[in-house]
Amino acid sequence: MARTGERRRPGRSQRPAWAALVLGLLLILLPAALLARPVAAATTVRVLMPSPFVDATASLVADFNRDHPQLQVEVARGPLDTEAMSDLAIGGLLLGDTPYDLLMMDVSWTAKYAAAGWLMPLEGLLGDNALEAMVPGAREGNAFGGHLWRMPLNGDTGLLYWRTDLMAAPPGNIVELEAVARQLQAEGKVRWGYVWQGRPYVGLSCVMLEMIHAFGGQWWQPGSGRAGGQTQLDSAGAIAAADWLVHLVRTGVSPEAVADFAENEALQLFAAGDAAFLRNWPYAWREIERGGGPVVGKVGVTTVVSAPGHSSGGTLGTWGLSLLAGSPHPREAAEVIRWLTGPETQKALVLDQGYAPTWASLYEDPELKLKHPLLAVQRQALEQGPEVRPLTPLYAQLSDLLQRQVNGLLTTDGTAAGAMGKAQTQSAVLIESAAGEHTASGPLLKQAVSKSSHASGRLQAQRRQGVA
Amino acid sequence: MNPSLVNVLLMAPALVLLAIVFAWPLLDSAWLSTQASSVLTGLAPLANDGANWQRLLGDARFWQDAASTLRFAGVSVGLELGLGLAMALVLHRPGRGRGWLRALALLPWALPTTVLALGWRWIYNDPYGPLNAILKAFGMAPYGFLTTPSSTWLFTVIADVWKTTPFVALLLLAGLQSIPAELEESLVLEGASPGQILRRLTLPLLRPWISLALLFRLAQALGVFDLVQVLSRGGPAGSTESLALYAYHNAMRFLDFGYSATLVIATFLLLVLLTACGWLLLRRRPLEISR
Amino acid sequence: MRSLLLLWSLAPLAWQLYTSLVTPEALVQGTGVEAGAYWTLENYRQVWSAEPPIWRYLLNSAVVGAATTALTLALAVPCAYGLQRQGGRLRWAVTLTLLATAIFPTVLLFLALLQLARALGLANNLLALSLPYAALCLPLAVLLLRAAFADLPPELEDAARLEGLDLPQRLRHVLLPLLAPSLASTAILVFLFSWNEYPIALTWISRPELLTLPPAIARIAGSSLFTVPYGAFAAATVLGSLPLLLIVLIFQRSIVSGLTQGAIKG
Repeated sequence: MARTGERRRPGRSQRPAWAALVLGLLLILLPAALLARPVAAATTVRVLMPSPFVDATASLVADFNRDHPQLQVEVARGPLDTEAMSDLAIGGLLLGDTPYDLLMMDVSWTAKYAAAGWLMPLEGLLGDNALEAMVPGAREGNAFGGHLWRMPLNGDTGLLYWRTDLMAAPPGNIVELEAVARQLQAEGKVRWGYVWQGRPYVGLSCVMLEMIHAFGGQWWQPGSGRAGGQTQLDSAGAIAAADWLVHLVRTGVSPEAVADFAENEALQLFAAGDAAFLRNWPYAWREIERGGGPVVGKVGVTTVVSAPGHSSGGTLGTWGLSLLAGSPHPREAAEVIRWLTGPETQKALVLDQGYAPTWASLYEDPELKLKHPLLAVQRQALEQGPEVRPLTPLYAQLSDLLQRQVNGLLTTDGTAAGAMGKAQTQSAVLIESAAGEHTASGPLLKQAVSKSSHASGRLQAQRRQGVA
Repeated sequence: MNPSLVNVLLMAPALVLLAIVFAWPLLDSAWLSTQASSVLTGLAPLANDGANWQRLLGDARFWQDAASTLRFAGVSVGLELGLGLAMALVLHRPGRGRGWLRALALLPWALPTTVLALGWRWIYNDPYGPLNAILKAFGMAPYGFLTTPSSTWLFTVIADVWKTTPFVALLLLAGLQSIPAELEESLVLEGASPGQILRRLTLPLLRPWISLALLFRLAQALGVFDLVQVLSRGGPAGSTESLALYAYHNAMRFLDFGYSATLVIATFLLLVLLTACGWLLLRRRPLEISR
Repeated sequence: MRSLLLLWSLAPLAWQLYTSLVTPEALVQGTGVEAGAYWTLENYRQVWSAEPPIWRYLLNSAVVGAATTALTLALAVPCAYGLQRQGGRLRWAVTLTLLATAIFPTVLLFLALLQLARALGLANNLLALSLPYAALCLPLAVLLLRAAFADLPPELEDAARLEGLDLPQRLRHVLLPLLAPSLASTAILVFLFSWNEYPIALTWISRPELLTLPPAIARIAGSSLFTVPYGAFAAATVLGSLPLLLIVLIFQRSIVSGLTQGAIKG
């Protein structure tokens, strides 16, 4: 190629390189382009689901499509990971160009997606009573700002797993839980008392939500403002919750490694017979039974326990279907929601995946009762009133900073009051930063930015007037 | 026409596009970092009195990511310079098939990072990946390379070093080619050992190329995104999240453009600071850095 | 030393190739599988007939790459020429700007570019994607081409001017033909960049059938975090690498010389 520059005919010389490049690409790509195939007609409703749901519903969808020639369901396989799934959906929605009609959503996304204007309200399509035949707890977390945005497909909550061979009955509150755990550890029957999820990820937020309520506190106080409320992480209940968890680790009831445990790590330790109690989701039951480990047949499941005098439910962790705004055929899409979240589909999913159903009728189903002994507990957990994560579009960030503070507390020697105070301050700053409005409980900017305090205070006042 | 004006006109289209794609985004992000622009404001900007920056100072995740990004950049760029120099020396040696050797050595750099990251995830797979197959052949238990924070970080660095060392090597190769062969020959005649030649001749003369490679790689490593996004998704537990990935998550996951812009600008400032430091250090003591 | 280098560079790639050519059973069990059930092309068949098929991504990437390369060269050639002729402070300032933008990590631009795509409706458009790509490639392209212009003897252009050729004619008929090798290596580097670019493609393209290769591969990676049969993914990575592999091997001389020459003279 060095010689090409010496050729006499100008303009020609770069052609050999170019021709080779283009030719090479054509050789690779042309045969491919010729293989394109035509697509079928009829109304097609496109659903984006996490990978496991695609597999779980594959045969159901095939049956549906065979029975409904005019209404076809096309399932797009999303990622396995919950957050990656949200990334994928948001990538399209932010660009205002999503090819999907329906989206399978985690319960903690509802407020964010609704606030972003990406969803279509469902009450007009499915009726005001769409959720009425469901167990009360399963109805929560689907509405926001007065509209129904989502139909739940399962009703999972956090549960407490205990060893039937080590105790006669499950503990009634956390004091009993700790005492039993200590005694069993002292007797050398188990290495660890209680294992749960302490890694800084969504799981720790679920644990914290349960614990805060177990001590009579609350994470989120609904109220005014763009964020829809404010956090109460420096309340006595919230501090006591963090204090109890760190106390478990520091006194050896829970292993220090719990600070790096997600659901599976905790489950493995419990399934190996090394712990007396486990906090986990309904799926853990099937995993333990199928795993064939030393505790098979020796595991009981109950609802989560609270401090004496308080009552907490397990955190609600469910998947559901939402209708995306801009779907060209909302009516047909709503039909698909009705079917896909309907009792028959849910029954198949209970049998297949071990998810808890949402329809009250399925809890009476004799076949399910026989095959799925957890149903009674799950119904109790749902009726007892599961805890719903803060219904605010900012949930993901709020959850993130709480996880970090609590995990930091578990791995260092700070105090619960200090960590939760920080979490509260950071939450308030976060709301202020994202909402552009001052929060009642937040730190005044003057305290943080002393130099410009005067100016910022004035601006603050001006803006509040402007907003009002 | 004035020749200088012609030159300016010739450069103008390219410079305008550069301004739109580089300068405008930075200015826009700098402004947006003083605004609330999130799902709560319908992504419309609304002044928030520097709350984004106040939030940044107290944001444990930001500090953790900043530390892990710096650590990543420092370790991987250091390794790349060392290995890149070795690779460049090998590629510089005359011999048959040198052109092919260079092309093949360059391959990891030329292929898409996401493709290779997926490949590395398979190589690190527990228990079926080749690394675990090797462990198994030696009678060891399979190891979860991407399960704990510290080992995930280490193996992310290794994948990055593998991917970008060829680029450093190529830059240094350019430097080696610019060193007159006679200089080396005269040192050989004086009886200098290869190590002495490297220290007394090659490294001093390579200085500008080492600086260039260092600056380029440092800037790129501080913005590491593709590799961590695909290899570990920033996990486990956010331990390998880079600043760029956090900024991306704030925009695409949390719908908080104002804070995402704050993170972008913070990363940019960090970058300017570090490259400036690197530049000053290199001008003074190039050799210690390069070793 | 050489074989060590080759092993280091090629072993991970070879492993991908191997993975793509064997059955899942062979992958998991190793040598225990009977000969007939060991090697297979099934993985390739799978990604070729997937929805959307892998050739779609390759085609998209090729379209973006071609458009980016054309646009970059169209802007970079005049800019490099002007820069080479220009003297004084402006030359210094432009060169410094180009150097700074060349080392700038492009991911930091994603947020503003996302806003731009949203505001101007540039999303999900492969040709629109080549606009930011061209800008990202310009610094390197201009620096390489300026070095090449600097190599040309000035008398050549003076002679052409005396013959009455105006600037476009001089460029087209005298200067560019002589620059062919540099143009080719610049074009290849630009094409490589655009084939590999990830963050901007990730934020600008959401429709599955318009994805370029890097985000498509990342999506595959996301949906397969825990799946064991990696064969299909390895096949996708092999097919995604193949065009570049060919380009690098065919044009190895001009890539290496382009980069090294540019570095020496830039």
